Amino acid sequence: MEELKMDFISSDALENATSMEKIYMIIERVKKGNIVVMDGGLTPAERAELIETTMREIDIDNFVGVDVHTLEKDSTSFFGFSKKKTVVITIVGPANLMKTVKKQSNFLSMVANLNKSSNDKINLMDKIK
Amino acid sequence: MAWFDFIKRFFGKKNKMSIGLYGNPNSGKTTLANKISKDWMGKEIGSSSNIPHETRTVLKEEKVTIKEGNKELDFDIIDTPGIATKVDYQNFLEYGLDEDEAKNRAKEATKGIIEAIKWLDDVTGVLLVIDSTTDPLMDTNITIIGNLEARKIPFIIAANKIDDEKSNPNRIVSVFPQHTVIPISALKGKNIENLYKEMIKKFK
Ligand SMILES: Nc1nc2c(ncn2[C@@H]2O[C@H](COP(=O)(O)OP(=O)(O)OP(=O)(O)O)[C@@H](O)[C@H]2O)c(=O)[nH]1
Ligand SMILES: [Mg+2]
Repeated sequence: MEELKMDFISSDALENATSMEKIYMIIERVKKGNIVVMDGGLTPAERAELIETTMREIDIDNFVGVDVHTLEKDSTSFFGFSKKKTVVITIVGPANLMKTVKKQSNFLSMVANLNKSSNDKINLMDKIK
Repeated sequence: MAWFDFIKRFFGKKNKMSIGLYGNPNSGKTTLANKISKDWMGKEIGSSSNIPHETRTVLKEEKVTIKEGNKELDFDIIDTPGIATKVDYQNFLEYGLDEDEAKNRAKEATKGIIEAIKWLDDVTGVLLVIDSTTDPLMDTNITIIGNLEARKIPFIIAANKIDDEKSNPNRIVSVFPQHTVIPISALKGKNIENLYKEMIKKFK
């Protein structure tokens, strides 16, 4: 594979989708080798469902699963101290493609390995909040 | 006492505690399940291995009782297959498995992960086992915690493998400050009494 396709999906596009629709939309794209970048996050139930669906879709020679990464921000609570983290970006990609990920609290850096047999790596994304 | 036993048996089924051991492959769930079972039942539950996805179906040990002073806790231990977002049979080849064995293990592992997730509907408490030599912010840990919170299932994080020199349990405490974290070594039995104390406190 020499090309890398990334699909960016806004939260508007997901607003009216059911959980299953969202999950299949992600999995179908990732199975084709695309990296899906979503605005916002999935609910815990959807994240569990994504793992379950991935396990059903794994086909030993072609699809070995997904890698999921999220970038969060602190959302300040009513009382003024931050407690909860909100997911601002969710990235789901094919597991055999996403090689290195460096994650800090507000920084995520990923390297995609386009050709498993060579060291042909490209720096995919540097995202700073 | 007889009456108490009768009532306990009568309501036993409904009030039965099932404590699930959850976490990533290789975090030490079966080693911990064996430690608990050996300490209180005198026997082991399942096999542990340095090859990931050793546990591929849910293992159960019924009617375990742990005691602390005059307090006790009765529960079933549910040792679950490690949860992952990917299963690549090629990783198993590095451990000396042949291709057929590796492919078979991978297939069973995917089914085991589904079974582990399904068991979230049935457990009444969870020990989330995190390998303290690894990055605790793995998506799977966050997914498990999110689901436990959403279902209001009480849980304790066991920061395992503190006997390993690369262990950093404080990192787990700092990324999950709102949760109970108990550093342990399931293998060496280090600090395990603290875990038992906390289990009685949290799950009773
Ligand atoms: N150093 C050290 N190693 C441990 C500890 N607990 C478990 N291990 C080792 O980690 C490896 C995995 O242990 P398991 O108990 O099989 O892990 P698991 O979480 O049940 O793994 P799966 O069943 O594959 O999900 C084995 O080689 C264990 O000996 C510990 O406290 N310290
Ligand atoms: Mg196990």
